[in-house]
Amino acid sequence: MKLSLLSLALATTALATNASAADLRMSWWGGDSRHLATQEALKVCGEKHGHTISPEFTGWSGHFEKLTTQIAGGTEADIMQVNWPWLSIYSANGDGLADLKELSGIIDLSNWDEAQIEAGSMAGKLNGLPVSTTGRLFVFNKTTWEKAGLELPKTWEDLIAAGPVFQEKLGEDYYPFEAAALDASLIMTLYGTQKTGKPLIDPATNEIAWTKEELTEAIEFYQKLVDNHVIIPWKQVAAAGNVPLQENPNWAAGKIAGTYQWDSTYFKISDPLQEGQELVYTDLLSQDGEKTPGIYRKASMVFSISKNSANKEAAAQIVNCLLNEPEGVSALGSTRGVPASTTARQQLIDAGDIEPMQIEAQDRVINAKGPGIHPMMEHPDVRSALQDNLELFAYGEIDAATAADEMIYAIEEALEDVRS
Amino acid sequence: MGGDSKYLGLWYVAPYVIGLLLFTAFPFVASFFLSFTDYDLLSRPEWVGTKNYEKLFTRDRTFDKSLKVTLIYVFTTVPLKLTFALFIAVVLNYRLKAINLFRTAYYVPSILGGSIAIAVLWRYIFADTGLVNMVITGLGGEPVNWFGEPSNALFTITLLRCWQFGSAMVIFLAALQSVDKSLYEAAAIDGAGPWRIFRHVTLPLITPVIFFNLIMQTVQAFQEFNGPYIITQGGPLKSTYLLPLYIYDEAFKSFDMGYASAIAWVLFAIIMVLTLIAFWSSKKWVYYAGDKRS
Repeated sequence: MKLSLLSLALATTALATNASAADLRMSWWGGDSRHLATQEALKVCGEKHGHTISPEFTGWSGHFEKLTTQIAGGTEADIMQVNWPWLSIYSANGDGLADLKELSGIIDLSNWDEAQIEAGSMAGKLNGLPVSTTGRLFVFNKTTWEKAGLELPKTWEDLIAAGPVFQEKLGEDYYPFEAAALDASLIMTLYGTQKTGKPLIDPATNEIAWTKEELTEAIEFYQKLVDNHVIIPWKQVAAAGNVPLQENPNWAAGKIAGTYQWDSTYFKISDPLQEGQELVYTDLLSQDGEKTPGIYRKASMVFSISKNSANKEAAAQIVNCLLNEPEGVSALGSTRGVPASTTARQQLIDAGDIEPMQIEAQDRVINAKGPGIHPMMEHPDVRSALQDNLELFAYGEIDAATAADEMIYAIEEALEDVRS
Repeated sequence: MGGDSKYLGLWYVAPYVIGLLLFTAFPFVASFFLSFTDYDLLSRPEWVGTKNYEKLFTRDRTFDKSLKVTLIYVFTTVPLKLTFALFIAVVLNYRLKAINLFRTAYYVPSILGGSIAIAVLWRYIFADTGLVNMVITGLGGEPVNWFGEPSNALFTITLLRCWQFGSAMVIFLAALQSVDKSLYEAAAIDGAGPWRIFRHVTLPLITPVIFFNLIMQTVQAFQEFNGPYIITQGGPLKSTYLLPLYIYDEAFKSFDMGYASAIAWVLFAIIMVLTLIAFWSSKKWVYYAGDKRS
């Protein structure tokens, strides 16, 4: 009789577990290593919590459009990897995505500090948990710089002085740095931020913080880099077919010896380098009289739960497993950068799963100073306002003052659109 | 025929009709409505009247640029492609050895042409250190900046489309083979040379097919997306920023579905007007067998 009761109890427990088992979907973008690791992590976490999770993954290109269309149609996955600036598009008032604070009984939020929770919140509602923090850093090909007989630069003046040396000692096709399209516009904003001590768009007021003259000077700085053989002219970059840095044979050969990239992209840009070349991070280049080092830092991505999910609690269990629990953390590794969750970060450091170079880069990002970044800086209309007009300037179609005028006009229009 | 079988045909066509209504007719009508709204995909459309069209025609410089580029693209690509397709079709109409092999080989680019892989390949072929420049410099010329120079970039996209001449060529070839051989013999007996025969016998007889290809290729050229999206991303200086790219960016990057719909309807109107002009002009130059005018 006792045995029968025990069997009944076990059967009931099993049924109860099955009843709470959920079929979930999770979507993300990334490269092969991230795809493999995430699928493995979903398998491990799914088995642990008794849920089945269907993976939906793509490359970066087109993911924004896909996710937006899904959210518009209410067919998005239960768990989503969301780029931080997209939060303001999907959930300007905090209601577009699930509020993870309501699931704090399942997700251990104590692993994130207040600033990180704030970064993932819209109108006071936690719409996304930061997976990692990222920032733009300078990285140089030390081998090429040594070949040119130069120390790695510490200031913009050092970098500018290196241009002619590269040209003379190594050849016309050697450049100490690169910047076109998005990278060029970010270099321009970095220079202006250092000079003014203000971000281009002020997160506190939602207004453009620079004067036209300040923006003009930052635009002219781009030309200074071109004129001194520091970066390849825009037209020449386009001639190569606008290939990404990691696919550029001149980068692989060390002929382009510096760049300004997200710290999380170290392996992406170091893998293609030909043997015997060493990549080194440096502090942000500085200028005389600068008011801030101007670090461009943000939550690289967040995990969100759909407001339409029928199984928010189950989805929260999986999010917690991926970000905080040893099984999920171990399976994901550092494929999304150095984790923002303190428990996960410590676990990976202890296990030696994070390369020393990744930790060094992350420390540089975390420790550097700079004003807050407005999410609108990554809005497609703002990016296009900066890039399109900088391109016109780079091609000599308009002067710096006109480019500044056009940028301000287009950015204000974009800000106005969002306000209305 | 009675009972159920009366409706059997309807059942057969139902999948197509449902698909047509859902995926063509509904979006078609919806986009017209949306073109009068402010709609960001995530919230409800808001009626704004003709505001989108006013902006389009009065203060959108990107639209002006994009429209200009699109018209240049269409008016260079279509004649080039049709001429080339007809030329190859005439060559392949001769009784040559292994003619079927040639016909297949020339058709291959059309099968591959629309794919992303070919667009990526194009990017490498025309890059500054690509195959084309290697050949040019090998012959002693100066390398050309195909993608960086606005005037050249559109040409590379045009070439990609022209390279996909196969489908137009096959249709031309079919038309050439249907021309009555006795007409050629009669013309030859009358002393006409090959060019005269082609100009005064072949061409008039295949005008219906030329007209068909002209309409189809024009409509397709106005919808070109893959080539510029993959190869140049619309640049440099928006010199390859065709209207479909602009529609896509407005819809899926800026989330201005209303504005994107307005551009799409302007594009539709342009295609419609050009097609009507082509139909109107066809009365003067297209000859149909059995037509009393011919």
